[in-house]
Amino acid sequence: MELQILKPGLETRELYLPEMAEITAVRRLTEMETLYTVKMPGGRELGHQPGQFVEVSLFGVGEAPISISSSPTRHGEFEMGIRRVGMLTEVLAGYQPGRKIGIRGPFGNGIDVSKFRGKDVLIVAGGIGLVPMRSMINYVLDRRDEFGRLIICYGSRSDTELLFTDELAAWEKDPRVEYHVTVDRGSPDWRGRTGVITTLLPGLQLDLPNTVCCVCGPPVMYRFVVLTLRGKGLPDDNIYLSLERRMKCGVGKCGHCQINGSYVCQDGPVYHLPDIAKLREAL
Amino acid sequence: MAQSFLEQARVLDFIVHLQTRHTVYAPHRRGQRSFAFEKTSDPAAVELDYPRVLGSVKKYFLPPRETLMDFDLKTDTATAPQVEPVNAVFLGVHSYDLAAVKRLDHNFLTGKPERNYLVRRQGARFIGVSYVPDKFHFAGSVGIDPYDMTGSDVFLTRHPDGWIVDVLTGEGAALLQGFALPPHALPKPKREHFTQHIYVPQDSLGRILEASYDHPVWNETARSCLSCGTCNLVCPTCYCFNVEDQVAVTGDSGSRERSWDGCMLRGFTEVAGGEVFREKSAARQRHRIYRKFKYLSDATGQPWCVGCGRCTAACTAGISIVDIVNRLIRDAEREEKITA
Ligand SMILES: Cc1cc2nc3c(=O)[nH]c(=O)nc-3n(C[C@H](O)[C@H](O)[C@H](O)COP(=O)(O)OP(=O)(O)OC[C@H]3O[C@@H](n4cnc5c(N)ncnc54)[C@H](O)[C@@H]3O)c2cc1C
Ligand code: SF4
Ligand code: SF4
Ligand code: FES
Repeated sequence: MELQILKPGLETRELYLPEMAEITAVRRLTEMETLYTVKMPGGRELGHQPGQFVEVSLFGVGEAPISISSSPTRHGEFEMGIRRVGMLTEVLAGYQPGRKIGIRGPFGNGIDVSKFRGKDVLIVAGGIGLVPMRSMINYVLDRRDEFGRLIICYGSRSDTELLFTDELAAWEKDPRVEYHVTVDRGSPDWRGRTGVITTLLPGLQLDLPNTVCCVCGPPVMYRFVVLTLRGKGLPDDNIYLSLERRMKCGVGKCGHCQINGSYVCQDGPVYHLPDIAKLREAL
Repeated sequence: MAQSFLEQARVLDFIVHLQTRHTVYAPHRRGQRSFAFEKTSDPAAVELDYPRVLGSVKKYFLPPRETLMDFDLKTDTATAPQVEPVNAVFLGVHSYDLAAVKRLDHNFLTGKPERNYLVRRQGARFIGVSYVPDKFHFAGSVGIDPYDMTGSDVFLTRHPDGWIVDVLTGEGAALLQGFALPPHALPKPKREHFTQHIYVPQDSLGRILEASYDHPVWNETARSCLSCGTCNLVCPTCYCFNVEDQVAVTGDSGSRERSWDGCMLRGFTEVAGGEVFREKSAARQRHRIYRKFKYLSDATGQPWCVGCGRCTAACTAGISIVDIVNRLIRDAEREEKITA
């Protein structure tokens, strides 16, 4: 049988071999999360869009898909915010600057920034969902005049688990940012709002046709957030969701990341809501 | 190309001829009723008349387990392994298994082509054989009849006195070079009949599945399904894989290994923190069937079930893909009648 789909001379890539990048800074965010700054070999730009991810590779441990948390507008290095939840992330938690880690990517379909340009940007982030959304937030902040309002709604289980507290404080003060935060359970000295993330949405005054929203959070969150946004009258066409599934390859081969017929590592992780509204496994 | 004839008495000589220049893989008897593709040493052990081999030729291109990279933990470096081309003749492959190879090609060679698969696959030559469908085959329902020569370099059609030989490619002609065969002009035998059928044209099946997402059959099958993943394991078009690192006992080197995985296993969609995206066995069964007849067919324009019947033959719970699909078709038609 001839290999008809192959053209002669077609380059076959080493799909699974990572490049060796260097951790240049490590910053503890909370008990569970750490921010890693990483430099690609030769200081090469990663060349990503907000919302894309990389496969982080530790030899002898494995690989994990991790979102790129820094904005492509910040050059030279990139950042990842990682929660300690299992084998690889646990080992990584012990790593110090100077250590090498393997990186493949960037992978996936990120946020199409052109769809947000000139519009009011609404970011809804739950828990660790702030990590990938931070890439978009900083993108908007770095090119502030290309966008309308920047509204950030952030929900966390408790105030001790809030991520990037220095940046949160800066957003709170920044007149160019409308920042709202809520925690499910506050510690005794929490002065802010308590309640789940959907409680932040009803009070928002939105210029509906002119607002584009991106949502990222734990699996249980999406359905409620989408219902609430629809309830406010935001059209599906203005909603993007960043979804997470188990991944084993990142390049559309292993079959693990499927939501019905869609491969999250290829079509996602960022989806336009109308494209997945019919996918029963999506939300 | 011209047809010729291979007498039954010359089949052994033919295999010997192939062996002079190539490694030959062919069906061998494994037990009373079971057969498997194996490397041929004794041509007399080859069985060209067989109902079905346990595993398909998939294992030669996508081995159950293989190394994706070797790494050195002292220097933190990884290297791609040397992959050996299969470079062999596969003698006695059924048409549906060749159709399955085409589907695997699609997964591993389109988009971002994968080196391991390509290197293995490149040197493979196929000699197809016709077969008599048994009580599990239903390849005819997905458009692959027992005489379908697609994908073969040479095809052998059963005849009472031997085999009618069709040479289909240049590679096929090269395989026969030096082995003279008399021409054959008689018509081919009649079509064989399948006892198993999916009672609907493929193009409407996608539409029927679309409407059967909440059909009771998923829960009903779930009651007997053991979630053992055997149906994935034996399927010639299932390609999903897992990846895991192995560290040598010395602790300073290791390898990243991939192995077959199956969407019927509960852990297939599990992520850290315990969330399992297809928690219910019913959802997994639906996913398996939809992948074969809808998801991948929508994406590639061809059914991903090739009708080999292996999953049904191998299921200890007696779950039949044909019964599931026919049940959906029957109920969809009844529904249509009611609403019409
Ligand atoms: C597109 C995407 C972006 C992500 N971004 C981040 C991020 O920015 N920060 C962060 O902390 N986490 C992120 N995750 C989740 C992260 O991938 C998992 O927490 C991580 O894989 C757990 O690996 P482990 O080895 O520590 O855990 P284990 O439970 O030991 O995982 C074993 C293997 O299972 C698979 N797996 C387990 N959990 C997940 C998961 N949630 N998603 C996909 N595969 C999984 C991986 O292949 C992993 O190597 C992201 C997941 C996806 C799909
Ligand atoms: S082989 Fe049968 S019992 Fe096992 S997972 Fe498949 S359908 Fe279920
Ligand atoms: S789904 Fe079953 S019948 Fe269809 S190709 Fe796979 S094993 Fe064969
Ligand atoms: S992660 Fe392997 S196919 Fe998407």
